[in-house]
Amino acid sequence: MTLGILLGYVALLLFVTVFSARFLKRSSGDYFLASRGIGSFMLLMSIFGTTMTAFALVGSTGRSFSKGIGVYGLMASWSAIIHSACFFLIGARVWALGKKHGYVTQLGFFRDRFRSDGLVLCLFPVMVSFVLIYILMGVVGSGRVIEALTPETFAEADAKTAVVVQELPAKFAIPGSWKDRLSYDAATKTLTLTGSIHPKRRGELFKMAGGPPTLAWKQTVGQLIQKAPRGAVPYAVGMGFICLVVLLYVFFGGMRATAWANTLQTIVFIVMGVIAFLVITSKLGGAAEATQKLLGSPMADRATRGGGQLHKLQFLTYCFIPLSVGMFPHLFQHWLTAKKGSSFKLTVWAHPLCIAVTWVPCILVGIWAAAELPATTNVNSVLGIMVAKHSNEVLSGLIGAGILAAIMSSMDSQFLCLGSLFTNDIVVRYGKRFGLGDVSDRSKVMIGRAFVLVMVLVAFLIGLAEPGGVFPMGVWCFTGFASLFPIVFAAIYWRRANKQGAIAAVITVAALWLYFLKDALKGEFLIGGMMPVTIVIGASTLALVVVTLVTPPPPRDLVDKFFPKRVDQT
Amino acid sequence: MRAAVVLLLLALCVIHHDMWWWGEAEPLVFGFIPIGLAWHVLISLAAGAVWWLASRFCWPADLDQLDAE
Repeated sequence: MTLGILLGYVALLLFVTVFSARFLKRSSGDYFLASRGIGSFMLLMSIFGTTMTAFALVGSTGRSFSKGIGVYGLMASWSAIIHSACFFLIGARVWALGKKHGYVTQLGFFRDRFRSDGLVLCLFPVMVSFVLIYILMGVVGSGRVIEALTPETFAEADAKTAVVVQELPAKFAIPGSWKDRLSYDAATKTLTLTGSIHPKRRGELFKMAGGPPTLAWKQTVGQLIQKAPRGAVPYAVGMGFICLVVLLYVFFGGMRATAWANTLQTIVFIVMGVIAFLVITSKLGGAAEATQKLLGSPMADRATRGGGQLHKLQFLTYCFIPLSVGMFPHLFQHWLTAKKGSSFKLTVWAHPLCIAVTWVPCILVGIWAAAELPATTNVNSVLGIMVAKHSNEVLSGLIGAGILAAIMSSMDSQFLCLGSLFTNDIVVRYGKRFGLGDVSDRSKVMIGRAFVLVMVLVAFLIGLAEPGGVFPMGVWCFTGFASLFPIVFAAIYWRRANKQGAIAAVITVAALWLYFLKDALKGEFLIGGMMPVTIVIGASTLALVVVTLVTPPPPRDLVDKFFPKRVDQT
Repeated sequence: MRAAVVLLLLALCVIHHDMWWWGEAEPLVFGFIPIGLAWHVLISLAAGAVWWLASRFCWPADLDQLDAE
């Protein structure tokens, strides 16, 4: 049933994107930028959907389970202030410059603003690497979510799992509905299960004790469930399937389909998050009851930030992480799709409210779970377990669709952006030197698709190795983007900013990012109690300012192009 | 108005670091939201309100002119 609902959602998504493709004009401008015709509501949904990854549902629940309510302050309320600042100060300005000068990509803007091919050649590999890691998070996340949501999809009737029973309960009996799947051999004291099993069936096995299950029986059941196949959709298949779905609608509908898909997916994940919260709350006996249960448990610290869960400097310096949205190349491309500058107004003020609606339920479910689940529970599974424990298969499927929607709504923009960066900033720019001649509109789209295909294949192959620590990987990826923020800010607001300073900043970020990479991927990594982004962004700002001031200023005509007299100053 | 909006945003950044409720769970707002979480939800909502003021009263004039062209 769960798998059927997930497939139904994917079918609906493809229908919506195929429908949107009917409006597609056969030009690269429409493929990459939806002809700069996206209105206020779709812009809000696209931008919110793109900035909220699987972190928003799965990550926030898991982190609050282990770190308490402080996770909201770290990620959500800082983002409410800083993201909107980026949209107001950077997004709307970039849109205006893009409209005036016809930019299609972030790197196109930087090339023109700093009049430097060298800067673009430095930034391209850095950006592609960061986006690739971002895509990898989505790819790995989707494989794990589908695997977790689809136990017993396949019966696996040939599989036999046996465990030795140390102490059989006195009133042990196998009910009729289990007789063809479960048997007990008294001679060898072996319990044998045939086929796959959903972990949710733990309760049914406990009941076979004929009374309150003893500790020994609970351990036997635990061993059986751990050893038996789950019969879920395999991780690699789930991962590949989601990549294929996103590739399909990005390839055939470009930015227009991506914007439509993001609108649908953002609505789906917000609504499903709220539904999951209401169902879980009701099953826990109400919100007040759930909080009281937490406060009465040994995990009561989760309702605070005390008990060493968070460092105060870490809490303060996390403010730099949301600056990453100012440098996401895929978000940059969404900004360029706006129909008008005023289309940004809704995004600027409604984004903080969307964050609150999405994050508050997840944080509450996460802290309540701390009183319900063992502390050793995998943090990425907390939401899935709470949903499975307190809802039925239909709801699991719907909520699973919401989680996949959050993942796909970021992946699609990243796919499109990679294609657009490679085509417009590398192939079109340097193709002639390699005998490619003028690249037609149709060829641009085809080359963009081919590059995306290669990058997705790379992400898929890395994903097959099941890299651990999706959360640290994500934070480190955001650290890289955030540390490049001074470049875009200077490009827009500092007349004196020049290419030498920008290149120095990029090299500084790349060097420090690689230097700390090993430590960062191990888990929570702080420097002197601070988020490492504080050091990296400080160093990149210093490099930008110092190198700019000791090198010649940009040419006068370049300054005049980007800093004309403002209307309100005349 | 521009100065007022900037001051409000700076105030939000300052009160974001609410050390005074660092180790407190109670009082519970609406009977179930720990005070530290409720404070940050309030900051999110206040951020929405301040950014509404910014987009209503501080929107750059040159962007409006570009819309009109």
